[in-house]
Amino acid sequence: MIKKALVLSALLAFSAVPAQADPRQDILDQLAVEASAADANFSGFSAARGEKLFRTKFGTGKPATPSCTSCHTESPRNVGETRAGKAIDPVAVSVNPSRFTDPAKVAKWFRRNCKSVIGRECTALEKGDYITFMMTQ
Amino acid sequence: MQSLSEKVRVWDLATRLYHWLQFLLVMGALLIGFFGPEWFLDAHVYAGYGVLALIVFRLVWGFAGSTYSRFSSFIFSPRDILCHVRGVLKGRPSHHLGHNPLGALMVFALIGVLLLMLGSGLVVLGGVENQGPLAGFIGFDLGVRARFVHKVFAYLLVGMIVLHVMGVVLESRLSGFSLVRSMFDGNKPRPDIVHAAGDGFEPAGNADDMAGNAHPLPDVPARTGRAILAVIVSGAVIVGAGVLGSAVPASGFIDLPSNDNYSSECAECHMLYHPSLLPRDSWLKLMANLEDHFGEDASLDDSVTQDIANYLSTYSSEAWDTEAANELRTVDPQKPYEITATPFWKRTHARIDPTIFETRPVLSKGNCAACHWDAESGRFADQKIEIAHGQK
Ligand code: HEC
Ligand code: HEC
Ligand code: HEC
Repeated sequence: MIKKALVLSALLAFSAVPAQADPRQDILDQLAVEASAADANFSGFSAARGEKLFRTKFGTGKPATPSCTSCHTESPRNVGETRAGKAIDPVAVSVNPSRFTDPAKVAKWFRRNCKSVIGRECTALEKGDYITFMMTQ
Repeated sequence: MQSLSEKVRVWDLATRLYHWLQFLLVMGALLIGFFGPEWFLDAHVYAGYGVLALIVFRLVWGFAGSTYSRFSSFIFSPRDILCHVRGVLKGRPSHHLGHNPLGALMVFALIGVLLLMLGSGLVVLGGVENQGPLAGFIGFDLGVRARFVHKVFAYLLVGMIVLHVMGVVLESRLSGFSLVRSMFDGNKPRPDIVHAAGDGFEPAGNADDMAGNAHPLPDVPARTGRAILAVIVSGAVIVGAGVLGSAVPASGFIDLPSNDNYSSECAECHMLYHPSLLPRDSWLKLMANLEDHFGEDASLDDSVTQDIANYLSTYSSEAWDTEAANELRTVDPQKPYEITATPFWKRTHARIDPTIFETRPVLSKGNCAACHWDAESGRFADQKIEIAHGQK
């Protein structure tokens, strides 16, 4: 319990902007709470793991969507495309600062896209890693 | 070279202009109707309006034109007609300066069939396409029936045009002068002079001949002023009725309020499908299956799902009388909510190169808006079709 609290306060301390003013950070904080609840050894999100999640061809979900890149393309900075041909705005935060700022939207799309691609919901760790990777892009 | 005195001015300028404009517009409308792509509909319809204007003129001119343009100069008794047919069969038909009895029949028949085509065409336009002056009054079912009539008359018209041309060729052969030419310069040789020259033509006054118009008829001057007035008045009545009719909203459409949940949740991966494109049952099945939505998870909160399901079933195809709603109502039982699996969709899109659906900018059969500019309105007007339009 104490360890968890330490990790959390460390994370909060590292964030440059006050929590209330940054909805994306709020979402990450919430995910961090969930991630440490699930794994006592949780020690922060990793952009490298996020990138791996983004690029892995799973083949365990629905056949039409083996990977996140199927729609979001190999580069998060590019405009993506749904299977029905509709454009998807870039997911890299540098190109699209409004990304990962609406908790309901983030939750909905993680639920859907992880089920479609991996065949199960993503863990809080995977979600946090993914957002962290996109913040470096 | 014939001298001037050997010729009679038969067709006045107005009748000749009418004839050739009619020829151009009818041929244009027929060619577009049979071979043109759907998006030429406007040209087809405007050709039709043009033909209507010409017929209005011709009807007026039939009473106010010069001698041979008047209907009274070519209304024949059945006896006259029989007599003429007998002459034709013998290769020595009675000669007429104006229309001969068979030609006259053809003129009336053509005008009649054209009027029926115009009428049925307007009913199709209003009932099936929800366009034009009758859109507010005609339902889809009646429109479909009129479409059948319109087609049958189109074939009949083609047959009549062939007969008309054959008649002209035959008479030109038998009489030794070109009827086509006289429809250009308006003149025909005087029959009594031609016959005196001893060609194969039956001279006037022969037993087989009739008291017809082999000799020039007494000159009747055209009443141009009155004709113009009559054309203007009847034209104004017709155009006025058309404008009034067009102002009535199309009967196939109802007011569709927008639904925030529907427009935000169901347009994320593809265009927002118009609720009229599937029947109620199909929408309900689709909404009950969002976890496995065409190979993707499109699940939503229960309350949002319920709201969208209510909206879609209220405004489903049952509520509309458009072509798309009526035709797409019949779904494939195996794929009850796949618009592009309906028999109608497959039939109407069968002639499109399948690779177009897989390549940019279309990418998917379900991307209706890539070819139908008005897809989101549910109209699917013929004029708004353009394969892979605009987008990059
Ligand atoms: C079938 C196409 C598709 C695939 C595959 C896909 N996505 Fe998405 N994703 C979308 C669409 C469409 C949106 C919503 C449109 C938008 O936000 O511009 C979206 C949005 C998101 C969002 C919300 C972004 C925000 O701004 O809040 C997240 C998070 C996301 N995707 C994660 C993933 C992850 C993780 C994967 C791989 C496991 C993945 N996606 C694979 C199509 C896809
Ligand atoms: C996560 C992405 C996604 C979301 C969200 C989504 N769809 Fe779809 N939908 C698809 C895909 C992929 C197809 C397959 C058609 C294609 O390839 O174009 C499809 C097809 C359809 C079709 C059949 C089109 C055809 O080709 O005949 C209908 C109807 C449809 N969706 C309705 C809806 C409705 C209603 C909603 C909102 C509840 C919705 N969709 C939300 C991805 C989505
Ligand atoms: C690749 C382009 C393309 C796409 C995509 C497409 N259509 Fe069409 N559609 C056409 C063409 C072309 C025609 C005319 C076919 C013909 O009659 O020759 C047509 C005809 C139609 C018609 C009949 C219109 C009329 O008045 O005759 C309807 C209704 C229709 N499409 C609905 C749809 C719907 C609904 C979708 C999406 C689910 C769709 N179309 C997708 C090209 C397309």
